[in-house]
Amino acid sequence: MENSPNYLDPRTLASVQGLELRARLIVEGYVAGVHKSPYHGFSIEFAEHREYVPGDDLRHVDWKVFGKTDKFYLKQYEDETNLVCHLLLDTSESMRYQSALAPLSKLEYAKCAAAALAYLILQQQDSVGLATFDREIRALVRPSSHSAHLKQLLHVMEESVPQRKTATGPIFHDLAERLKKRGVVVVLSDLFDNVASLVAGLKHFRHRRHEVIVLQILDPAELEFPFERTTLFKGLEQLPEVLTDPRSLRQAYLAEFEKFLAAVRSGCRNNRIDYVQIRTDQSLDVALSSYLASRMTRMQ
Amino acid sequence: MLGWLAAAAAPLLIHLWNRRRYREMEWAAIEYLLAALRKNARRVQIEQWILLAVRTLVIALVVLALAEPFVERLGLSATGNQRTHKLLVLDASFSMGYKPTDKSRFERAQELAAQIVDEASAGDGFTLVLLANPPRVVVGSPSFEPREFKAEIANQHLLHAGSDLAATLQLVENVLSQTEREHPRLARQEVYFLSDLQRQAWLPAGGAAGQLGQIRQLSKRIADRAALAVIDLGQTDSDNLAVTRFRAAEPLATLDRETTLEAEIHNFGRQPRARQLVELLVGGNRAGETYVDLPAEGSAIVSFPYRFDAGGEHALEILAAGDPLEIDNHRWLALPVKETIRVLCVNGKPAGGSFQQTTDYLTVALAPRSGDAPGGVRPEVITESELAERELAQYDAVFLCNVAQFTGDEARLLEDYLRQGGGLVFFLGDQVQADNYNRQLAGDAGGPRILPARLGERAPQAQYRFDPLEYKHPLVGPFRNQEQAGLLTSLVTDYIRLTPHAGSAQVALAFQNGDPAIVAESLHGGRSLIVATSADTSWTTMPVWPSYVPVVQELLAWCAGARLQERNTLVGQPLAGIATPVGKAAMVRNPRHELLAVEVRDRGALAEWTFAETFTSGVYALEPAGATSPAALYAVNVDTAESDLAPLTAAELRSEVWPGIRFAHQTSWQNLDEHPAAEVTRQNKLHVWLLTAVLGLLFCETFLGWRFGHR
Repeated sequence: MENSPNYLDPRTLASVQGLELRARLIVEGYVAGVHKSPYHGFSIEFAEHREYVPGDDLRHVDWKVFGKTDKFYLKQYEDETNLVCHLLLDTSESMRYQSALAPLSKLEYAKCAAAALAYLILQQQDSVGLATFDREIRALVRPSSHSAHLKQLLHVMEESVPQRKTATGPIFHDLAERLKKRGVVVVLSDLFDNVASLVAGLKHFRHRRHEVIVLQILDPAELEFPFERTTLFKGLEQLPEVLTDPRSLRQAYLAEFEKFLAAVRSGCRNNRIDYVQIRTDQSLDVALSSYLASRMTRMQ
Repeated sequence: MLGWLAAAAAPLLIHLWNRRRYREMEWAAIEYLLAALRKNARRVQIEQWILLAVRTLVIALVVLALAEPFVERLGLSATGNQRTHKLLVLDASFSMGYKPTDKSRFERAQELAAQIVDEASAGDGFTLVLLANPPRVVVGSPSFEPREFKAEIANQHLLHAGSDLAATLQLVENVLSQTEREHPRLARQEVYFLSDLQRQAWLPAGGAAGQLGQIRQLSKRIADRAALAVIDLGQTDSDNLAVTRFRAAEPLATLDRETTLEAEIHNFGRQPRARQLVELLVGGNRAGETYVDLPAEGSAIVSFPYRFDAGGEHALEILAAGDPLEIDNHRWLALPVKETIRVLCVNGKPAGGSFQQTTDYLTVALAPRSGDAPGGVRPEVITESELAERELAQYDAVFLCNVAQFTGDEARLLEDYLRQGGGLVFFLGDQVQADNYNRQLAGDAGGPRILPARLGERAPQAQYRFDPLEYKHPLVGPFRNQEQAGLLTSLVTDYIRLTPHAGSAQVALAFQNGDPAIVAESLHGGRSLIVATSADTSWTTMPVWPSYVPVVQELLAWCAGARLQERNTLVGQPLAGIATPVGKAAMVRNPRHELLAVEVRDRGALAEWTFAETFTSGVYALEPAGATSPAALYAVNVDTAESDLAPLTAAELRSEVWPGIRFAHQTSWQNLDEHPAAEVTRQNKLHVWLLTAVLGLLFCETFLGWRFGHR
């Protein structure tokens, strides 16, 4: 395992084609890393057996089968899942940005993270749903725990094209009304929007008793602003252009950006929303860990 | 070259070009960039202007540094790194002999001059001019051999002369323009004045405004051609005393009576000097001494009565020693002492009886005590026909009394006599033919002028009295406050009206009606004098009046004094005389005991000798070839105008002498030990300053760029 490629690294992942494969590699890589199987059921009714893999909880080993076949099988239970996860993927134009420092665009990274999460959730027999949005909801897939559901989710993600401006606030209000079943809401976005409106939208989810995890996906260039030459910055999402010497504005830009991030962090903290900032040159396990941590909290 | 200054626009163009050559990039977080820009647009603009200004300045300074020779021509600066003509003006006037320590100012100047040569770059040329009166060009064409040039500097002696700055500057200008013409490769010229900036020399006082104007004009022209530097060797607290005058009170020194030797000692310092020793030396031996108290910036006169015990040439010296400037502590007097004073009296109207001849009263008046003393005045009476046969040179004075007329030969004889320093006294009378006098002696016929006045008609017979004209003339000066001598009560009944010759002729005594009674003039090196009335009692009662003897004695003294005067002169002024056939081969022995040839020039029947190399004060001896006759002594003294050591300050030099002229000035005696040419050379280093500034600006630009980029 040590010599196999690390699929949690976005640079490695960028060489892999197909969202499904990417999702599987991420999750399996993650699992191998933590040496702890996330595949354990929580229902009473038995559904099927599954071969043991190192890291599985020995409590779920079916010793009778072992007695008969001399092989380790785990008992799996079929029951209604008690967890619903709603993945909210921002596909606005700003998510299209990819600097030279990053192997993936923000949207590609978000898709990988979302796909990995979906894969993981379905593997756990939980339900997962998906909504893509920019200034309106572009696609909405109802939560399901069926294993075939993954393909549909991946298809929707692959089809989504970034082209519009974001309007997170109204979208979140709308979704909060439409997501009837209480669960975990995972927002994958750069959150480039009005912070007050954004926070108001997230607050609405909380009001609906959803757990909310905000994964703010940012390009390293957006955090560091490392440019030297005179540049014409062309605004995405129909914002104006700026011709300037980036060196003279770097500190001022970073201050403005930090102010924005601080506002987001503060908004999340005040509403007990999990906030995780992810750089697109960063390992993808951050997304999975944050979800699992949240889930464990919820189960307890 | 300065056209390259346009290159200073390069940063602006690059800035504009860069703004056109930007790269394009999509940017998601544009909203925050816009916010940053909104808040910092003004600051960013100012920073960009500052950077632009610094970069523009860097290029401009680099261009100026490279273009320094051109800048220099515009008069803005001077430059180095090119072959330079260094003209050294060494002040050799005697005030530079001031020796406050073990070295005199002049020796110090020589050292510093050598140091300037040592510090010069290879290929530089050197010339040397001495500031003195008269100035001298020692090295007029640039020398490119520093060693030989330094040897030439070391060979220079302090001259005992004063300073003539205007004449020196004229020579400097000549040398500069000649070098410009003949050595175009010496692209740059520098003039160094190594001087004590003596005020008298550098700022001619009072009425010399014209001379100051000349100095300013010359300096301006020199400054247009060359960079000027003054290396100031003067000190403000320089004390000095000098013997400013030394003379015999009686013009004719004889064996029969004491001669009063008078000297004036002047204290130029600000402190009085008590009990200053003053010594008299005769022939190098001490003959007297006295002590005087000298007030600050004042003088005192000392007198030594002295009786000579032998006739002949005497060299006398007054010495007032004891200050750091030794040269003017001495003064010499060359005094021929006569055993007898020979006077020729030409009697124009011989007669038989006692006191009937025209010259009878005169001879008595000339030698009132001739019977009871050796030496004294010995008059010799001849008739007018004998005049042409006499060798006049052996007489100290010739009195011509009531001579009717003169021939051309006689006139030439008298002219030669004047040229030999002789003295002529004309008394008139009833035989005098005025027309002949005017024609032969007053220059009417184009002949030589011997008389100081033209003769007019005879005045109507009446009683005329004298007007002493306030006793201004030395002839009548002794009669001041001596009314009992009877000069003013003497009666004149007849006289011939005289018209003094315009120019140097002076009326020494007049009649109360304003007509001249005695007219005197220095002519051709001798002295000529005419008395409007007679020497006997035919026209005046004066010969029987008590005033007659002193008047005649004064006439004799004044006339015979010409020979004495020509023996005493100032440094820089030539010695001259009539050369006898033997004298043509004469040599002059100077105070340093060097024998030097005289220059002889024929002038009519006589030959004149001159000797111009009187650069040292002291006694000069004219030694005839073969030592056939004793040497004639000449005293050459310093001009004590130079003795006042008060220096000119740098501010005065800047405002009074060289207004508007750029020059370097160094005053500190100690600092000069380092680099005498430093200040001028520093002017040459403009490019170094410019490039240093460029370096500083480059650091500044880097720092600002970094600072602005991190805000």
